[in-house]
Amino acid sequence: MPAETIACRCEDVSEAEIEAVLDEGFTSLEAVKRILRCGMGHCQGRTCRTTIARMIVRKTGRPLAEVLTVSSRPPLKPTPIGILASAKRKARA
Amino acid sequence: MTHSLDSIVIGGGVVGTACAYYLARAGHKVCLVERSYLAAGSTGRCIGGIRAQFGTETTIRIMQESIRLFQGMKEELGTDIDWYAGGYLFVAESEERKKAFLKVMELQRQLGLDVRFISPEEAARLVPGLNTDGVVGAAYCPTDGQANPFAVTYGYARQVKARGGRVLTDTTIRSIERRNGNSMLATDKNERLSAPVVVAATGPWLKQTAAMVGLDVPVLAERHESLVTEGVGRLFDSMLVDYRGGGCYFHQHVRTGHLVGCYTPVPNVPGDRADSSFEFLCEMPRRMVNLMPKLAPLKVLRQWGGSYEMTPDGSPFVGSTPVEGFYLAGGMCGHGFMLAPAVGKLLAEIITTGKSSIDLAEFAFGRSFRYAELLR
Repeated sequence: MPAETIACRCEDVSEAEIEAVLDEGFTSLEAVKRILRCGMGHCQGRTCRTTIARMIVRKTGRPLAEVLTVSSRPPLKPTPIGILASAKRKARA
Repeated sequence: MTHSLDSIVIGGGVVGTACAYYLARAGHKVCLVERSYLAAGSTGRCIGGIRAQFGTETTIRIMQESIRLFQGMKEELGTDIDWYAGGYLFVAESEERKKAFLKVMELQRQLGLDVRFISPEEAARLVPGLNTDGVVGAAYCPTDGQANPFAVTYGYARQVKARGGRVLTDTTIRSIERRNGNSMLATDKNERLSAPVVVAATGPWLKQTAAMVGLDVPVLAERHESLVTEGVGRLFDSMLVDYRGGGCYFHQHVRTGHLVGCYTPVPNVPGDRADSSFEFLCEMPRRMVNLMPKLAPLKVLRQWGGSYEMTPDGSPFVGSTPVEGFYLAGGMCGHGFMLAPAVGKLLAEIITTGKSSIDLAEFAFGRSFRYAELLR
């Protein structure tokens, strides 16, 4: 993968930027997410998570299952505030 | 093998990394120990609000110092921490609330804070689209603001390393033994760390850390929840704090345009849980559209939970303890991120010179709990 390849499209983070953070010793998905925001954008990591996890595997030799640690959080997909707000009212009625 | 150090900081959140940074800057050989990754606890779950609008003198003074440090942090740490002085706006929904705001404002203004009570019209000018139904005005401080908790925490940690300090992540302290004026810490990686100074900055787990040296620290974790929306163009600058309909607070991240916010759950949810609830996912948006109807089409990306670490009076514990060489920096009651720069600086002063440039008696471990924070 060329260094300028964008690994996280939502936050516009390149492979080289991730590699630099791994070289610094921050070799967990959690740390990469917090330093570079990979996984915090619109796709919530659905696109970049596995790519970055594989980069960590390549760097550390740890098994993929051990590296893929970040929690997926609700909601399942981006949902408008207005819809969520009205869902509550129906539940109450 | 045993590593001899000048000081050991337990806890890799923003408070611990700030303490480690200021100790390293004072010339200490420092080791910071974090049982997970940096900012894994409360720091990484906080939404990044920073304000000096508080109700007690010590907290106001410390926050004025913290804000000064946030202002210069980009140069100090050599990294952009997304500091933005967008202000904090507390909406007053009743004459009673207005009276309470005006009362704390007297103290705040005495201490030199640029805070004022503004009309509903002025509030709506500052925050276009603000629903002013029933609003009698707002407390507004333009020098309050926001920053990025991750950038600050990792910024401090990188500077600790650059100054020759160690940052151990995925490392748990198993025991602390006092021996000849030194603390001997055993890690789960079969390492021993020895230093005359230990700082406990373990947030919601401060009670358990302090128990290792026989101290009973009255800090209890409570779960709060947050959510973040998709990023959009700039809507408003301030943190909005509203008390209507159960209350909520949110702001817009200066760089990414995400809206991020929380509310204080009633009744409280005890425990160091970090799970999130469907109740919050629906209730928070309801309160947000009440405050600002035009937010309805904005999409929620993610919700999460995290701990506030509460003390009996709403003020933290910062300073020495009856155990010689064992210091506390915790019990931040939801304000750890904004307090961290000044707390780190002042605690390092206490440790290296015996006194701090701002008096911390209000945060002393042995205080009587007669103060009560007015602005939660």
